[in-house]
Amino acid sequence: MRGSYSFPIGPERDGGVAMSYRLDRAARCGEDAGRPRVDALIGRRPGMKEISQMHLSRRHMLGGLGAAAGFMALGGAALAAGKTYRIGVTLPLTGADAEPAHLILNGILLAIDQANKAGALPGITLEAMVLNNATTTAGEYDPAQAATNARKLVGDPGVLVNIGPEMSGSGKAMAPILSMGMLATITPSSTSPSITDPAFAAEFDPGGKPIYFRTVTTDAYQGPDMANFYAETLRVPSSYILDDSGAYGVGLADAFEKQAKAKGITVLGRDRLDPRADDYTAVVTKIEASGAASLYFGGGMQAAVKLVKQCHDIVPKIVKGGGDGILSPEMVTAAGFPAAEGWYVTSASPHLAGTPALQKWSDLYTRTYGVQPSDYSVTAYDATLVAIAAIQSVTKAGKPLTAANVRDAIQASKVEGLQGTIVFDRNGDLAQHMVTVFQFAYDPKYRATDFPHQYRYVSVAPQN
Amino acid sequence: MSPTHILLQQIVNGLSLGAIYALLALGFTLVYGILELINFAHFSVFVVGAMAGLLVLQAFGLQGQSVILHGAPLVLVLLAALVAAMLACGLLGVLIERYTLRPLRAVTGPMAMITTIGVSYILVNLVLLLTRAQSLNYPDPLPAMTATFGGVTVSGKAVMIWIVAAILMIALDRFVRRTRLGQAMRAVAQDQEAARMMGVDVDRVILVTFFVASALAGAAGMIFGLYYNFADYNIGYTAGLMAFTAAVLGGIGNIPGAMLGGVIIGLIDTLGSQYIAAKWADVIVFSILIGTLVFRPAGLLGALAPNRS
Repeated sequence: MRGSYSFPIGPERDGGVAMSYRLDRAARCGEDAGRPRVDALIGRRPGMKEISQMHLSRRHMLGGLGAAAGFMALGGAALAAGKTYRIGVTLPLTGADAEPAHLILNGILLAIDQANKAGALPGITLEAMVLNNATTTAGEYDPAQAATNARKLVGDPGVLVNIGPEMSGSGKAMAPILSMGMLATITPSSTSPSITDPAFAAEFDPGGKPIYFRTVTTDAYQGPDMANFYAETLRVPSSYILDDSGAYGVGLADAFEKQAKAKGITVLGRDRLDPRADDYTAVVTKIEASGAASLYFGGGMQAAVKLVKQCHDIVPKIVKGGGDGILSPEMVTAAGFPAAEGWYVTSASPHLAGTPALQKWSDLYTRTYGVQPSDYSVTAYDATLVAIAAIQSVTKAGKPLTAANVRDAIQASKVEGLQGTIVFDRNGDLAQHMVTVFQFAYDPKYRATDFPHQYRYVSVAPQN
Repeated sequence: MSPTHILLQQIVNGLSLGAIYALLALGFTLVYGILELINFAHFSVFVVGAMAGLLVLQAFGLQGQSVILHGAPLVLVLLAALVAAMLACGLLGVLIERYTLRPLRAVTGPMAMITTIGVSYILVNLVLLLTRAQSLNYPDPLPAMTATFGGVTVSGKAVMIWIVAAILMIALDRFVRRTRLGQAMRAVAQDQEAARMMGVDVDRVILVTFFVASALAGAAGMIFGLYYNFADYNIGYTAGLMAFTAAVLGGIGNIPGAMLGGVIIGLIDTLGSQYIAAKWADVIVFSILIGTLVFRPAGLLGALAPNRS
């Protein structure tokens, strides 16, 4: 049932091909100033057309071809011209994860647009083929939908590489399909270690060659490094651990739990939340009764919005933290202050967005999309740079432009990204692994819902 | 916290949750009692209720966690929002009945039920589009009042839920038992044909039933938002499923049964989370449901539906 009853809004409704749009048009739209922020953040963004306009842009793409002939030849026609190739983009663009997903999407679109404008690939135009990984039924990312999207990508010979997914739950569903189709994906934010772990190759990599690359590090570092932070920096004696039943949340909480115990933190309880349930007061009351000095939550925003509010009512004083799944605008827009105050969160990447080192890029991003980039906008941009560089190296080597050849080129990548030199190990993981700790802290100088200004950089999490 | 305190605290938590389930369960039971129809659109009417209440509160300038009104004005605004949510949902229920269910009245089989599933999806997706799929920060206009009784904390919001739920349930009970329209409802529930022959306007009774059931869902949606300070397009899913379970547990078609079922499910949910684990709470709830249906097919207070042949 999951997924089958969905009423997808947005990109996948017209099927992947129809949704491909020209990115040079996207950038032009982006230059119109004064667009309300929220509009730019969700839905009506540069490059994302209403369904009715979509058909226009498709006709435009096919030039003088008659509409009927163009329809029949869709996909094939573009290939025959030898000019247009697609980069898949799979993100949960609706539901609980929509906001961070759109910040990621912008980073991808920006990189593709720049490559097209700069003529990075002579004679070739790149298009984003944006597919929504979320369904109404799930209310957030939906692995069943992600698998459907993966099949769509693999079945399209014009798709050379994919960027995404955001969530490891989707990644686990997509990896075996992409692996059999030898189509590489580069994820800017999915952090579950098992997907790239050779011990799980039979499950996630039946095709034999790594196809799951990341421009972030994994929960194998994110969870434990946060446990180090709890033990060494915050010096909490005890902890209660929750997850949200998803692959990402369970893996993160497991990794945290193991390292917390190794660091001498007493784990007083471990429980699991149903992200669609609304009432967690019983669990939080149990945490209060356990006397735990801290709470660690592995999971995403759907559960977190409610958990954060109910923790504020019942256990306002204890140390609370989570992973990158809750480093999300909904922490300040939906959970809101004062409930969000004090929550520690991590990001599986260096902190770059909005820092002086990246000022020029951040400004360009903000000017184009009307919102400020997140750190995963940066990793998404980097992932797209890697993908484009790989396509470039295949064409330079004179090899046929196929997904399998692009995959090989990605494996051998050495690309200067915004976060430094990007090199993958032989499993597809990023060679460097830095985890950054942030804390939500209300800054009255800005609106309470102004996400980028309502959390602060704390430190790089202790590694060992 | 001593074990007794923990138990009492979890009972307090469970009663608040149960009150919301009970209000929602009443709607399932009312409609089922009259039409023998499980109305899945009820899930999404609840969501619409939460959103309608939110709009009214926002229109009065209540946003986020700021407490800007006190005393009588605050009570009046809350009452206005509650009435607006109930009216909006009541009318929505009437529209659903009139335009999607009445044309199917003569059709036997599961068509009407499937229609309600369709209506439910349409409504939820409309809310999804209008809210841009975001979780919303529901206003928390009540001053943070808590009272502690021997270590057990009771919040003002919990007391508000209990009072509103109790008033609505008593009013419903009075309405069904004491008024002419209520009498007509009971007659239609017992035997539609006979009631029609006795001069009862059956179509009107069914419309009124949908109005009342949906208005209760609207009230439940509004107090849900105030209690959890949160709403999104998806809140009807778990709450609706639990409320439906509560209605079946209490004996579907039976009004006191729905109230009892709601409170029991709320208590099982919280006590199960405390003494076993939250991850097992759903398993426990539904196991109890199945056990009840095996050993008491009509539910705790229900009598099996009258034979209409």
